[in-house]
Amino acid sequence: MTDHTLNRLRTANPFPAGTAVDADALFDAIVVAPPDRRLARARRRSPRPVLVLAAAVLVFALLASGAYAISGWLGGSIGGPTVRAEYADAQKQLTMPPGYTWPALHWPANSVTSPGGGGAFAVSLDQDAWECYWVDSIHSGDVAAQQKAHAALDDLMQNHIVIAPAGAPENYAPPGATGTPLLAFADDGGYAYKERMYREAAAGRPQLLEESCRANGPASHG
Amino acid sequence: MTSETDRRPAEERFRAVFSHLGAVTAYARRRGSHDADAIAAEAMSIAWRRLAEVPRDDPLPWLYATARNLLHAEWRAERRHAAAELPELSVPASELRGLDPQLDRALRSLGPADREALLLVAWEDLAPAQAARAVGIKPTAFRVRLLRARRRLRAALEEDRRPAPLVQIDVEGT
Repeated sequence: MTDHTLNRLRTANPFPAGTAVDADALFDAIVVAPPDRRLARARRRSPRPVLVLAAAVLVFALLASGAYAISGWLGGSIGGPTVRAEYADAQKQLTMPPGYTWPALHWPANSVTSPGGGGAFAVSLDQDAWECYWVDSIHSGDVAAQQKAHAALDDLMQNHIVIAPAGAPENYAPPGATGTPLLAFADDGGYAYKERMYREAAAGRPQLLEESCRANGPASHG
Repeated sequence: MTSETDRRPAEERFRAVFSHLGAVTAYARRRGSHDADAIAAEAMSIAWRRLAEVPRDDPLPWLYATARNLLHAEWRAERRHAAAELPELSVPASELRGLDPQLDRALRSLGPADREALLLVAWEDLAPAQAARAVGIKPTAFRVRLLRARRRLRAALEEDRRPAPLVQIDVEGT
């Protein structure tokens, strides 16, 4: 539209903005009703991924323990010796940060897990260790160590951590996971939460990283 | 039950939405509502109940879209027309009030979608991207619609200025 036509239409605006009602009274009358419940759910969801991960590990352990009796009927599960072998193999492919050592794997005699569970356990421990190493290096001001930790965690995220398909069972094992230790995150935003955690730590906001280290790291960081 | 910790942030967020009450009232009035204050109040009430859906950064297009739906309902109730007969995006042209006659005729000659596109920009002072959200289409599509509407309005105004042509009556056999 030419400016002339547009201006003509604008000038012809028949009513200015405004209202004759008592706005404050209307506001009060509206907010008497309960607010949208989805807002509260969204707020409560935000700090949860670490707790969800911890709960998932606990549930996994309980289910694995309880499932031992029927595991032989169903197949597709591995017991202590295989888990320990996978854990040992994974240690050859993964690197612990300086000053950290692989903890001994105490696998209950009556427990089973999915194939690859030993490797997944190693990836999880390695990730926890590198997170705490990063926190330590931030506190000590060691920039090179911070960069090393960030790179190691990026490598873990890209090469050793996958997101399970939506609706995948609790014992989901990545297909074709032979040899490479892999950890599967549930499709619940946990992976994105970790990505955000590392992004923020690299930008000088390590609060989430510190929280994760306290929750999941070696006992000395608790 | 809603706790106070849930309610307070919601009220703060809603207060920003509610600050557009005057604009929504004017929108309803400009589109010919017989009870613009009630339309605006209902739009705000819906915004409170569905606050999670209201864009936090720019709630106005969402409010206009809601008000337009309410205007359609008002118009349906008054005219007792079937929903299928309603104009797609704007209240009927006959409801545009208080305009100079030539502009009124030109606007009435436009389709409802074209008319709404023009009025959202000219009267509601929305940027094209905002207006696109208000009518639920992509910004590119809205710009095309707006361009088309501009041309049609200009053509209609020019046509209106021309003197009426002499009517030539052909009489068979002459």
